[in-house]
Amino acid sequence: MKIINKSEFLGLMEKWISSPGLIAPVNVAQTFRSADKEKNLIVFKKIETKDEVLADYLNTVKPVKDFFLPPSTVFDYERKDEGYNFNLSEVDGKETIIFGLRPCDAKSITLLDKVFSEDSEYKDSNYAKKREKTVLVGLACTSPDIACFCTSMGISPFSIAGLDALIINFKDSYVINTVTDKGKNLLGSLGKEAGREIDEEIKTLEESVKLKIKKTCNTSKNLESSFESEEYWTKVSNSCLSCGVCTFLCPSCYCFDLSDESAKRIRCWNGCVFLRFALMSSGENPRATKKLRYRHRVFHKFKYFREKFGENLCVGCGRCIRHCPVKIDIAEVVNNA
Amino acid sequence: MIKKLQEEVKKLLAEKKVNMVIGYARAGDAINAIPYFIANPEECGALIWDKTCIYNLTNYLIDMRNKKVGIIVKGCDVRSVVCLIQENQIKKENVIVIGLQCAGVFDKKGAELGAVGRERAAKCKSCNVHTPPLFDILIEDKEMNQKVLQQEDSYKEIREIENKSPEERFDYWKKELSKCIKCYACRQVCPLCYCPVCVADQTMPQWFSRSLSLEGNFAWNTVRAFHLAGRCIDCGECERVCPMGIPLRKINKKLEKEVKELFGHESGVDAEKKPLFSTFSKDDPEEFIK
Repeated sequence: MKIINKSEFLGLMEKWISSPGLIAPVNVAQTFRSADKEKNLIVFKKIETKDEVLADYLNTVKPVKDFFLPPSTVFDYERKDEGYNFNLSEVDGKETIIFGLRPCDAKSITLLDKVFSEDSEYKDSNYAKKREKTVLVGLACTSPDIACFCTSMGISPFSIAGLDALIINFKDSYVINTVTDKGKNLLGSLGKEAGREIDEEIKTLEESVKLKIKKTCNTSKNLESSFESEEYWTKVSNSCLSCGVCTFLCPSCYCFDLSDESAKRIRCWNGCVFLRFALMSSGENPRATKKLRYRHRVFHKFKYFREKFGENLCVGCGRCIRHCPVKIDIAEVVNNA
Repeated sequence: MIKKLQEEVKKLLAEKKVNMVIGYARAGDAINAIPYFIANPEECGALIWDKTCIYNLTNYLIDMRNKKVGIIVKGCDVRSVVCLIQENQIKKENVIVIGLQCAGVFDKKGAELGAVGRERAAKCKSCNVHTPPLFDILIEDKEMNQKVLQQEDSYKEIREIENKSPEERFDYWKKELSKCIKCYACRQVCPLCYCPVCVADQTMPQWFSRSLSLEGNFAWNTVRAFHLAGRCIDCGECERVCPMGIPLRKINKKLEKEVKELFGHESGVDAEKKPLFSTFSKDDPEEFIK
């Protein structure tokens, strides 16, 4: 681990804005009157001026998946004799640095990789190209809230999974932990060796942050036995509104829908809790009730994905709990199933 | 007050006057409230009532329209019950309205943090309906008079926007609506958005683009606002649930103001009255209607 002066690091970030390009958390809440000043809406955004970048925030409202799986992508296509010719020019494969993602979001990228990356059965070339060209510089999390449960999901607020480098806010400096070659190329030459003493202090800090996380989720649970329990799934989904907040804000949800609009094909996010998600052209809807849809969401995350890819499709970022309009708590639902 | 509420609900369920009562209970985090559905009279002890009970529960009535249901409402929420009766979506005889006297609830963040200075949601600051105008059972709050704070001008923010130039307003809404992620939480939480297939979900023909373009976002949010003109009862749920913090209440409030000034109509006040758009008056300002 290396240690670097904060202003030196921020100076470097300023250079990234023009080249290669920087994406970082920004408060985009606009205020019409002074009373609204406390409103915050923190999202990842392409940075234009250095003053926009935030370092003090819990987590962004929307996860970082937007940049790899955009909410909607428009493809032009031409009809050829041998089929359709899609124009994928949307991705130019420009290098970008994403700064400030939390370890939970970084972990979610490793889960998305299993589905869309180069070696995957369902390779998505746009996704793979963007992944290759992006450097992920994470920011360790020191103030988790009551909805966070990353420690139950096999990671910690200081994890490096999925990251190219991790930055830790340490007193008046930043401690840099370079993980991959990409990270080393970008940050390897910076700062001076932190030494064993600081390494120890960082470990202690990590443990103390971990202790702040009180919520747990029993991920080893076998959900199979609860599948048929009409009573349980009705009870937990009774208040569900069938809106898309949980799926759209989830860093690891990746379902999408395709539709054709005047010679363009639109690929946009879709969520399994929506009423019409499973609707087929015959008119049959195998998941017509919210009980079935909500159960599917939980099972996909904690059973089907685990069976196929060996890990749960959840990183414990807590967004679905924090932003659920009726406060449905997925960790509780799994624990009590 | 909570005791009285629990007793009344218990009585309703024990006497089998209703199959289910929809109320509020405490969430697992011991801070927030959650919507709570009770069928068993023994579970009534879990019912709560305080400033964290921010939800408008009448949204669930549509799903249960053929059942006998008891519903716990505040002064604002009950107006959507009135609207649903007016619009023939529910039958009055199927619903037992349990009204609560309310001096205001927390805003969204306040409910989570219990923070000082967050005591009243924006909608509560301009509210003067502390006792529900329609109820079968009223749970009175004896300290009501001390609790009610001064009412603020409900159209203050609307006038502020009206006074801006069209360019400034357009700019403002462009920035706000570009945040929309089309999660449709606003529609799903709205007690008056009950179309079996929403116009935004129709694919044959497809009326709106599915993509997150600014045009598509404008189309969705304006169509929804117009569908609610003269109907919205200002429960503020759409704005509360919007994860992107779009001030949706301002759009609905503007239409509410227009409807009030043009037709003298207030939504959700009188169940005997017809809905605004299924009636006409000889004094209508428009020529074509005469």
